[in-house]
Amino acid sequence: MTSSPCSSIRGFAAPGGSDIQFSKLPWLVLTPALVFVFVGVFAPFLMTHDPAAQDYTAILKSPSLSHWLGTDYLGRDLWSRIVGGARTSLVAMAFVLVAALVIGVVIGSIAGYVGGLVETILISLIDIALALPSLVIALALMGVFLGENFDWLSDYWKMVLALTLAWWANYARMSRAVVIAELQQPYIEAARVMGASHLWVFARHILPHVLGLVVVYASADAGALVLAIATLSFLGLGVAPPTPEWGQMLVDGMSYIEEYPSLVVIPGLALTAVVVSFNLLGEAFALQKVPRVLKGRLLRRKRAARKEEDLARTKAESQA
Amino acid sequence: MSGPVYAVKNLVIDLYTPTVSVRAVDGVSFEVNSGETLAIVGESGSGKTVMTLGPLGLMPEGVTIDLNGSVTAAGQDLVTMSPKKLSKLRGGQFGVIFQDPMSALNPMLKIGPQLAEQARRFAGLSAKAARKEAVSLLARTGIPDPEDRYDRYPHELSGGMLQRAMIALALAARPRVLIADEPTTALDATVQAQILALLRQIQEEDGIAVVLITHDIGAVSVLADRVIVLYAGRIAEEGSAIDVLTAPVHPYTRGLLASVPDFRSDTATGTREIPGLPPDQTRLLPGCRFADRCAQAITSCRRKRPEVTRVGGAAVPHRAACPVVIAVEGVARHA
Amino acid sequence: MRRLFLRRAGLALLLMLAATALTFALVTAAPGNVAALIAERAAGAGADGQMIARIADELGLNDPLPVRYARWLGDALTGDFGISLRTGKPISEEFAERIPVTATLLAGGGILALFYSLSIGLWGAASNGRTTDQLLHGIALVGASTPNFFVAALLVIIFAVGLGWVPSFGLYGWTSWILPCITIALFPGSVLARVVRVNLQEVMARPIATTGFAKGMSRGEVLLREALPNIAIPYITTLGAQFTLMIIGAIVVERVFGLNGIGAFFIEAIRFRDFVGMQAVLTLFVVFFVSVNLLVDLVAMLIDPRLRRARRV
Repeated sequence: MTSSPCSSIRGFAAPGGSDIQFSKLPWLVLTPALVFVFVGVFAPFLMTHDPAAQDYTAILKSPSLSHWLGTDYLGRDLWSRIVGGARTSLVAMAFVLVAALVIGVVIGSIAGYVGGLVETILISLIDIALALPSLVIALALMGVFLGENFDWLSDYWKMVLALTLAWWANYARMSRAVVIAELQQPYIEAARVMGASHLWVFARHILPHVLGLVVVYASADAGALVLAIATLSFLGLGVAPPTPEWGQMLVDGMSYIEEYPSLVVIPGLALTAVVVSFNLLGEAFALQKVPRVLKGRLLRRKRAARKEEDLARTKAESQA
Repeated sequence: MSGPVYAVKNLVIDLYTPTVSVRAVDGVSFEVNSGETLAIVGESGSGKTVMTLGPLGLMPEGVTIDLNGSVTAAGQDLVTMSPKKLSKLRGGQFGVIFQDPMSALNPMLKIGPQLAEQARRFAGLSAKAARKEAVSLLARTGIPDPEDRYDRYPHELSGGMLQRAMIALALAARPRVLIADEPTTALDATVQAQILALLRQIQEEDGIAVVLITHDIGAVSVLADRVIVLYAGRIAEEGSAIDVLTAPVHPYTRGLLASVPDFRSDTATGTREIPGLPPDQTRLLPGCRFADRCAQAITSCRRKRPEVTRVGGAAVPHRAACPVVIAVEGVARHA
Repeated sequence: MRRLFLRRAGLALLLMLAATALTFALVTAAPGNVAALIAERAAGAGADGQMIARIADELGLNDPLPVRYARWLGDALTGDFGISLRTGKPISEEFAERIPVTATLLAGGGILALFYSLSIGLWGAASNGRTTDQLLHGIALVGASTPNFFVAALLVIIFAVGLGWVPSFGLYGWTSWILPCITIALFPGSVLARVVRVNLQEVMARPIATTGFAKGMSRGEVLLREALPNIAIPYITTLGAQFTLMIIGAIVVERVFGLNGIGAFFIEAIRFRDFVGMQAVLTLFVVFFVSVNLLVDLVAMLIDPRLRRARRV
């Protein structure tokens, strides 16, 4: 049978398979997330004041030239605290995400590749970890870490550790699923028959697939993690003052909500903007599987092109 | 009843999706009358489905279509019709059988009640009569134990049975035109013949018009009264099934017929394939679309759109869009 | 199907046991925790190692872990979760007071989320690709990205402080529930609305939708009668997941609005290292979470004809 170059018309197949293509992502979607990373990385250069410095001569001031967003109830510069908060969130998020991803991929891959009793034990562990929302687990772990046995850890690292231990299970489950699916592929057996070692087969053939999926998931998960960090601090169980953190700024501002709602609204907006941008990123991946309708300017342009081509052809045919 | 039940004149359809924009149908006319079977033959992507189902608004979600030309059914103009009226007409006048019944029938809905609903809505039956009608339709389409099958879900039936159910569903509204879009492609070879026989039986009993969209020459020879051979959105050849299958004029039709293995010989020696690929319909050049794959093509083929010319003296007009063959071989033109 | 369900139920029971055992080991059994705390509460700074050891001995805290877990489990099954280290009241009493508050929140929020997600999702799908669709999509995206404590703060600023329509703190009549329920519903509702939208879009591109149109249905009819049943399973699965995640919403909302529910009790237990209370709340959460998931499995099985009629094939 002849294959047609425009078979997409006949079969009406939904475009795109299961593979996510980075190249198809609009750069516009990436920009907000990149701005957040930029602010976080270059925070020291963007801050106009020390975010922890209290100034009792300038308490609860409105925005001015020296304090761009005003000051809070201790006279701290709100702009610098927002920028510093971005750095706090970004660093904690990066630590947790990388650690959870590594732990998850290792445990999931071992479970999927080794199988047998090891798999059963690891799956049970994953299932238990998934038997509660990650944030509830992180909260409980924060409770455990508050005990004197953990005094050697700072609040910040307690939070990072608690979130990591609460966050890996999803990645482990996903990795295991990918490993099992890949092991079904005939080329794996072919590689084994040709004498490749287990480690080689895993590293060369399976790991790239696992990482491909997990990293895409992580990019969307980053938003949820930023949210979790803020929620922990909001509940008083995360980053301790005076480290600037959005959730904690928001809970501080709640006491002044009637007179100075901006103390609540500004960190809240910053947080929402970051989470929206990461969710947009995740959505851009998800929507690659859904057929979209052509409309608006693009449609008009295509119609015009079609008309022009048609005209040219008719002209050519009438001249012949 | 006189006059065609579904007629299309000078139809041009452009399709737009975010990735492709295609002239899928380019100046096609056809009509189908009560009691006859019209086969529309062509390769994948030749526009045969778009040309038949597009005017009815049956395009998949995500495809924008521009439709030019005139389309009439039941004495009404479909192009200017409101979407609401069109969907009513589509449900009552047309029955559609799709290629793959497993993906076309809703897995969450029972089969029988869907039939009964059609009968109630479009044939104006009472709830009780509609149920009876649905059961008898299942029986008529050759589904054993129809009372039991009435309450079944699609996954509980085999592919062949599902296609029978799909046919029953298409007939439930008592349509005047039955459109079968490659009704046997997704089925086992043994089941294919049964489905074709069923279609012929229904057509004979009900005297309705059948439009068979297919690339299966065997199905055409079994069912069709008339044939339209479509190539890259244009009609290459049309005529009575006997004329087109036994005395093809257009080189594409000849190639298509030559590529069908002869079941009487046990070797494939007789078969030839058409060299090359169908043209890229997203960017079409002037002239005959088949020219690049045609052994008989001359320079003028690539410049001028070939006119459709009537040949022979048959009562059913036999037309072909190849002035070269007609001139070179001295094919008798219609007087 | 019954066998399949019983199997799931058995697994769920095992999961509850394993999860409570693990939390027990982690929370209550961390060495010295409970005894030291009791001693501290009883004698203030004067608590010494001897006293701690005596308390530990009296409470049987020196027994091996499995023995202690078995003892705890036996008590828990009779409804006895011990005595809160923070309030000094039996946990069961605390629960009796607080569960209705959290349950009301979850129920109210859940119903709101259901209505909100279905209306936004369906409306969006009905106005496919047009400005309305884009707008609703944007609303759902922002709704699924706004931290619920910020939502709560905004609602308080607008409706309690600004307009003065409803109380901003504590429980004063039914109006007190409005803002907490809206807050808790927004996130799951938005996530669900996107599930509705994306899945409807996907189903509408499938041949079954074309069949629906061929049957003479209008777009609205195809959406409601052909496509909607097909998204029921992803919807209910997500609904279950989001409903359990509403625990987090409840924790936050109870704190912001000063409601004395389970979430508030949990946070207080954590901050005051009330390990007995923490273990009790975690157990409650595990039971809730696993039961909801089991229920979702059951409903999905009942809805999907492919699973429901499996025995007949």
